[in-house]
Amino acid sequence: MSHDIALVDGNNFYVSCERAFNPALEQRPVVVLSNNDGCVVSRSNEAKALGIKMGVPYFEVKHLTKSHGLIWLSSNYTLYGDMSARMMSILGAFAPEQEIYSIDECFLDFTGMVVDQIARGRKMRATVRQYIGIQTCVGIGPSKTMAKLANHIAKKQPQFRGVFAWSALTATEQDAMMAGLEVGEVWGIGRRLNAQLDNLGIRSALDLKQADPAAMRRRFSVVMERTIAELNGVACLDLEDVAPRKEQIMCSRSFGRPVTDLADLKEAVMSYTVRAAARMREQSSACHSRSSSSVASNADTSARHKCRGPVS
Amino acid sequence: MIGAGIHNGDLLIVDRSLEPKSGRVVVAALNDELTVKRLHKRGGTITLKAENPAYPDIPVKDGHELRICGVVAYVVHVP
Repeated sequence: MSHDIALVDGNNFYVSCERAFNPALEQRPVVVLSNNDGCVVSRSNEAKALGIKMGVPYFEVKHLTKSHGLIWLSSNYTLYGDMSARMMSILGAFAPEQEIYSIDECFLDFTGMVVDQIARGRKMRATVRQYIGIQTCVGIGPSKTMAKLANHIAKKQPQFRGVFAWSALTATEQDAMMAGLEVGEVWGIGRRLNAQLDNLGIRSALDLKQADPAAMRRRFSVVMERTIAELNGVACLDLEDVAPRKEQIMCSRSFGRPVTDLADLKEAVMSYTVRAAARMREQSSACHSRSSSSVASNADTSARHKCRGPVS
Repeated sequence: MIGAGIHNGDLLIVDRSLEPKSGRVVVAALNDELTVKRLHKRGGTITLKAENPAYPDIPVKDGHELRICGVVAYVVHVP
């Protein structure tokens, strides 16, 4: 049986969450910075147009605040987590099965449902937009890998207005579309694999689709063979509707100023431990050891304290 | 918005999933500024009414940018 899988993700997710509560940020170049305002982790389209790359340190783009009205915001992960949960619950109502893949994207399984995929995609997009004010893109295909690729097309090619489904194209049109996509855009093809594939003359998504699966399995791995099958419309990866339990939970923060008082440090360790324990209970786990460590680092002092112990 | 029972300092419960029909009290962003008004749609024209004699109605004209952020479902009033 052929599958129908959608991948939905929020555009510029952290910036979009901020905009949902502050309309003055609309149509301006906005970036969200990582913990302690180090690097750019989310960019509005206007910020992308200024040539700001993902992950650059803030000081490299700081001059744009004066010259181009760039607005920067500290990250607010509590807000993004909350908005994510809302987005996932809205999208979850559209399909019988959902895999939450990351904070801003999820797979939905429409297999066996008779639906107009494009219309369904538009409806999901409009609903998320109305309910929480976040723009999304929807990609639909016969496998997770093809859904991912469809989502990339929905995002990069404006004529599809945020929704792309492979089923809307004929087989010939599908191949033509895949010929225009670099192989590095295929899910699971990282930079290292990309270079190796390039040596074999495999440059587009279509090249990879048409590669000999058995030979590629011998040369690379079973994962590569699976990717090729997925590109050919054979779903090999199931939706994981229950996330595997975490085996390690860490809760860490940087202090805004140096902590010199033992009481302050104890209080911080205690509140982070409480938070980590809450996350552990959420997934119904128990722990057999816990450890804490505090590190001071600046130009002239360096101190480290660690403790570890069994749990009574 | 005194006429709609909304006073300074009140807490509004906003439901974004409700359709902003004419006659509903909405939180709107007019030219990127947030405001609470009663929405009036007649023919092709949209008016934001303040429900307070001290503030005039705002007709939404070409060149204005209006975004409805949500419909006010409840008011929590501080006595």
